Amino acid sequence: MAAIELEGLTKTYGDVQAARDISFTVESGEVFGYLGPNGAGKTTTLRMLLGLLSPTAGEARVLGADITDERALIGAKRQIGYLPDDPQFDKSATGREILEFHADIKGDERSDELLELFDPPLERPIRAYSHGNVRKLGLVTTFMHDPELVILDEPTGGLDPLMKQRFAEFVRGERERGHTLFFSSHILGEVRRLCDRVGIIRSGELVTVDPVDALLNRSGKVVRLATVDPIPRTTFERDLEGVHDLAAGAGVRTRASPRGEPADDSTAAEDRKQRGDATDDGVYREYTFTFTGHVDDLLAAVSDVELVDLTIEEAPLESIFLRYYGGDDNA
Amino acid sequence: MLEIAQYDGRNRLRGSIYLAIAMSLLAGIVIWIYPSFSESFDDVDEAFLQAYPDEVIQLFDIQTMATLEGFLAFELYIFGWTILLGLYLAYLGAGTIADDIERGRIDILLSMPVSRSQTVVEKFLALAVPIVVVNVVTPVVVYASAELVGESLSIGDIVAVHALSIPYLFACAGIGLLASVVVDRTSIAQRIALGVTFGLFMLESLLVDTDYEAVGAIAPMRYYDPNAILLESSYDLGDVGVLIGMTLLLVAVSVVWFKRRDV
Repeated sequence: MAAIELEGLTKTYGDVQAARDISFTVESGEVFGYLGPNGAGKTTTLRMLLGLLSPTAGEARVLGADITDERALIGAKRQIGYLPDDPQFDKSATGREILEFHADIKGDERSDELLELFDPPLERPIRAYSHGNVRKLGLVTTFMHDPELVILDEPTGGLDPLMKQRFAEFVRGERERGHTLFFSSHILGEVRRLCDRVGIIRSGELVTVDPVDALLNRSGKVVRLATVDPIPRTTFERDLEGVHDLAAGAGVRTRASPRGEPADDSTAAEDRKQRGDATDDGVYREYTFTFTGHVDDLLAAVSDVELVDLTIEEAPLESIFLRYYGGDDNA
Repeated sequence: MLEIAQYDGRNRLRGSIYLAIAMSLLAGIVIWIYPSFSESFDDVDEAFLQAYPDEVIQLFDIQTMATLEGFLAFELYIFGWTILLGLYLAYLGAGTIADDIERGRIDILLSMPVSRSQTVVEKFLALAVPIVVVNVVTPVVVYASAELVGESLSIGDIVAVHALSIPYLFACAGIGLLASVVVDRTSIAQRIALGVTFGLFMLESLLVDTDYEAVGAIAPMRYYDPNAILLESSYDLGDVGVLIGMTLLLVAVSVVWFKRRDV
């Protein structure tokens, strides 16, 4: 059974479509990232799944329960944990009173273990909590009844780096225990580190759903290479398939940017002439490009060349993001 | 079940005790000034009921000030219970759901396995704490104070005037509850609740003995009459039934409304 299924889920406020015809499935046991900038419709989608907002059109099921069927949804909620993007608790209560209240309603399977991990100051009233502490308490209340499905809205906002690290380890542990996590984020690195699959949402519309690997593969790898002797630009530009944004540099200092601005502007050419690194036009010692072809072909192409350095790295998720958001003012 | 009511009720306990102390102080002062008040006039009703404009007499339903019962009915029960506490319970009711929505607590609450109707009903039930506490503490103070100034009151009437105020105060809280689910800004819900409750009080008081008296039937104030209880020992259980019916209707409409809305 899929943990979450959305079919054409839509939410409209007057003329504004906060979420438009969103369809995807989160499989049981996977960690699914819901990625998009602020205001893209992530929170609207999540709140519809919890029955807080009713969809204008379309349907969805969480743990098999129709989100518009309150009785069924309540049954499912016994196995759901939810942490909103800005969790709020009764300010006059202490952390412990909040935990007791949650335990009374949902039960408490593992708050001791969670408190060791996240450690909010339980004896203090929520009024005296920092944002980070509220979030830590929220993580405890979200997971304390050991739910099968956890829905988290921007879960690491307000956490310090140590807590983020702990949270990441905790999420991996949850996946190993077979639990399903669905979380929204606008932080690319977080999604990349934690998720099996990613759905990208932009201006209320789902742009793509892909395994993180596939997203990375499709956007290619970043190749940087330096040779002992200068080699012609045509080695890559003409003789190798799948080379994009080729940038060539003199050797000591490369002017290539990650976006791949070619380095042969007048100043760079001047530098080269002066140092004599470039013997002829189109012959350089350093190259940077994005590569979507086979790594074997790349290695074959440079097999006769004496290399100083060669690095092949995954493209940053930022560049994937740019493909979907590039040139959009909303991004 | 009742976890929300228990939690909310516990949170309301401290405020309820302060409320009971404040209302007891009011009761103590009213009773304490009564002897000197009644001695200042040869005929209290002659002097007083003539001094006040008829509209005021009608508004506050002043029947007599010549006895402590009549004095209390006006100074403490019409003013303190029907108006002040009625408004206060409407105000508290208005703060229930709207405050959770405005402050964003409703997300976590409703993400738990609780139904929306359960949430509304239990938050309403928690208002029983101030209603009951104030009506348990104050009558003791009223009776003891009366003894202290050498007046004796009927225990039965004192118990009745407080017990019968309970359904009245729940009905006022119900007005607040409805405002609370309809509007999601607390301050606006509270203003609506106060305005409607006070408006109903005026409507009921001022339309008595006019052609439009029947319109006042929608006001809970018509069904709680401290004068009849204290002066005539007349307890109208039919009125209690009407108040309970009104309360159930207000809660039912609130539940239906809340189930249908986005939060």
